[in-house]
Amino acid sequence: MKWTPPRESVPTLRLTPAVRAIFGLEIRSLLRDVRTVLISVVLPVLLLPALFLASSWMEDQRVEREEARTYRFAVTGADSAFAASLMDQIAAESGEEATDRRFLPVRTDDARAALERALLDLYVETLTPQEWEAVEAADTLNLEMPDQYAGARVFLIRFHSSRTASREGADRLREHLAEVRTARRDSMLVAAGFPVDPEMVAVVEARNVATDQAVQGARLGRFLTLILMGLMLLGASAVATDTLAGEKERGTLTTLLTTAASRTEIITGKLLAIVAVALAIALIQILNLWVYLGLGIIDAGAGFAVTVTPTLALSLFVLFLPVVALTSGVLLLTSAHARSYKEAQLVLPAVILGMSLPTLAPFLPDLSLRSAIMLVPIANVAVGVRDLLIGQVHGPSLLVAWLVTGAAATWVTARCIRALHDEELITGDTSREEFLGGPDLFRKRVIRWFIVLWAVKVLVDFNLPVDDLRVAVLVSVGIVFLAFPLIVIWHFRLDPKKALALRMPRPGVWLGVLLGAPAGLVAANFAFQLMDFVLPVPTELVENFGQVLMPETIPVWQLVLFLALVPGIVEELTFRGVLLHGLRRRFGPVGLALVVGIIFGFFHFQIFRIPATALLGVILTAVTLLSGSIFPAILWHTLNNGLAVYLGARGVEFGGESWWWAVGSVLLLALAFWIIWRSRTPYPDLRSPQPDRDLDDRDPD
Amino acid sequence: MNKPPVRTQGLTKVFYDDNRGEVRAVDQVDLTCQKGEILGLLGANGAGKTTTLRMLSTVLQPTAGRAWVMGHEVRDEPERVRGSLGFYSASTALYPKITPRETLRFFARMNRYPSDQVDDRVEELVRRFRIQDYADTRVEKLSSGMKQKVSIARTVVHDPPVLIFDEPTVALDVLNAIELRQFISQLRGEGKAILFSTHIMSEAEQLCDRIAIIHHGEILATGTLDELRETTGLHYLEEIFVRYAQVDDPVQAARENLR
Repeated sequence: MKWTPPRESVPTLRLTPAVRAIFGLEIRSLLRDVRTVLISVVLPVLLLPALFLASSWMEDQRVEREEARTYRFAVTGADSAFAASLMDQIAAESGEEATDRRFLPVRTDDARAALERALLDLYVETLTPQEWEAVEAADTLNLEMPDQYAGARVFLIRFHSSRTASREGADRLREHLAEVRTARRDSMLVAAGFPVDPEMVAVVEARNVATDQAVQGARLGRFLTLILMGLMLLGASAVATDTLAGEKERGTLTTLLTTAASRTEIITGKLLAIVAVALAIALIQILNLWVYLGLGIIDAGAGFAVTVTPTLALSLFVLFLPVVALTSGVLLLTSAHARSYKEAQLVLPAVILGMSLPTLAPFLPDLSLRSAIMLVPIANVAVGVRDLLIGQVHGPSLLVAWLVTGAAATWVTARCIRALHDEELITGDTSREEFLGGPDLFRKRVIRWFIVLWAVKVLVDFNLPVDDLRVAVLVSVGIVFLAFPLIVIWHFRLDPKKALALRMPRPGVWLGVLLGAPAGLVAANFAFQLMDFVLPVPTELVENFGQVLMPETIPVWQLVLFLALVPGIVEELTFRGVLLHGLRRRFGPVGLALVVGIIFGFFHFQIFRIPATALLGVILTAVTLLSGSIFPAILWHTLNNGLAVYLGARGVEFGGESWWWAVGSVLLLALAFWIIWRSRTPYPDLRSPQPDRDLDDRDPD
Repeated sequence: MNKPPVRTQGLTKVFYDDNRGEVRAVDQVDLTCQKGEILGLLGANGAGKTTTLRMLSTVLQPTAGRAWVMGHEVRDEPERVRGSLGFYSASTALYPKITPRETLRFFARMNRYPSDQVDDRVEELVRRFRIQDYADTRVEKLSSGMKQKVSIARTVVHDPPVLIFDEPTVALDVLNAIELRQFISQLRGEGKAILFSTHIMSEAEQLCDRIAIIHHGEILATGTLDELRETTGLHYLEEIFVRYAQVDDPVQAARENLR
């Protein structure tokens, strides 16, 4: 039997026979392992109904206990007889309702001690005005004390907030006392001949307009992604750790890697198996929701009483798809990077924590999907799920969220495939780059370093007290973006001249920049309006941003210095300097301009600024690539910001909605680029268009 | 015309070790292996045998040099290279949760064996290796001898023209080792090109048609046992090895190697 293996497969995800074989092997191995089946399948099936049952049971218990609860109280102080009569009146007025006949007087000599020892739930201390002043003076907690009734006697309800009965009793008693007081005051006033005209008073009432569905949906929506993520991580991690890390341990990885299957096929098959498990878990949960809540099999009590329609269930499922893919990818990546089963198990808790953290986003009060959270994978879907359950969905944001998490999943998958090509991960050796350090290692690590920089920038920006704009800019832009390139250059022993592209461009370039910068500003403004058309930005947000950025107390020349010159220099050193240098061989020129531009955009945390700044980033990268120098980009960036600040401070509106401005600015921009192109001295050491393999190096036979 | 199934040219692999620094594990290795020939790679632990064979099976990428298996270059057409060879070593294990039949079927599909012929091929191997009795028992329940048979059947399931055995007898007991050597001889009879690495002199003497002595990543000599005897004037392979490796004190050398 003669046969030749077919030509090398392209690295795309396809369902080849090898992929199906691996998928079959993984699923078969999973189903034959009792423990894994228990953790991956049985537990997730049971957990959600168990949670509903528990919640329902706890709710019943709570209601039952509340109905049966009595509040033991005592009255102390000089005026106790009067207070006691009030308490009697409370009991008498609510006498018909059995549930409210729950204040039980208890006789005690030392009410304070009895409260501490839980013999009492609360007591009312009646105080003369003088006694009240003493209490106020002795108050160590600095409580806000009302003083409009100065001179009146005070009933002080003392309770112990660590005990439910005490807390609730105090709340109820205060309500009742207030009612009684109001009623007495009114009747006293009427009795004294005070003319009460109904038109002179207003009654305050509150009504909640949210439907039960929205309230309960908000409650369940907050938990749902967290629960699902927890179960997926639990179930799929058993499979994931067993697959690559486990195979390194057992020695089956070498067997697998010496078959004709490509690395892409191996990863595809394994990823599909993990996705299948995670998907099954997600599906089970959503079916659970529909079966138990939708069909009302379990009365989940007031906790999670949400109406789940098939449409809602299906929408949730679709929304969860990228989360499933990303979670599976991250688990497989963890497994691929672990050098042994044990290492995978060691790293896993950190991964589980890291993946669960973003699912807590919906717990943040009033976090809207229409904010930067839209761009955080998993967190965005979690917020979207909450919105979906409340019934308030913003379609475009949800789509962006879905796509962002999906893109993250794709990226992680690509990393998995690369990990199988990385022989250091298979043999456990140190790579040449890691061993030698220096510029080669930087090219490998550049993305990682920028992720850290992004995190640092987030921390700095959100924790910086913005008292003085100048200080804020100096720290969050000046120091961060100046220190970063310097640290990178020092750590990786880069040549500053090369890393920062410190070369002189040809003179023509400057003319191009002088023309291009204003044109680019107008074009970017137009792009911003175009985006506003697609995804409207609240005007108050923009205005507020403008006010923060340009307070009227700072002179214009200082604004130009801090908002134009400082960022113009240091941001260029970071992005068109070290970032471009680090990525230069990873993409072609067009890809480089796009990637560097978009990364630059992501460093502007107000979501509405990302598109315009990314566009500026693309332009600046293109200028640097064409001129081989960072200086034109510095000038362009400074001019761009300076013009924007100057015009903004002068209150000049430009562009407006006129299409002529747009067309004119684009034409001028094109002219500027043509001039720069004419005087170009391209960025050195870029990736060559064709892979650099010598053709004469082939098999001579 | 008579193109050797396996050929390497200046094959080199450099590792970077945190303790030892730059290590040339394999240095400028030129080898050929013909049809129906067993080429023995003889060397101490850490001499570069496994690294050479791993580069040939495309698990590792050469730092420099080239290697061809059935005319396919290891870097240009890694999947075709792997499809043309069967790789067996002490570290190539089997999946515990599946049966021998499933194992063979799995690896046939992984090696792109024509899908309509997979079942026939699997049954043929089950008969040939006499694994009928436990062909449907999970691998995790088999004895080591049974596992070994399944492993060998797995190595040849796609009927590759080239076979690589990397210290296959290291973990085996005497009888299993004898059985394995017999089988390798059979494969030679079928016209396979076989690379066989070992550090056991007697094994190399007995089994290999030609022997390449590898030491510190370099091939010091290649030839039949008779040729090696003639060049050195020595009889025993062990003496010949020591002469080539210029190891005056083998114990001292072993200690250095361990470091």
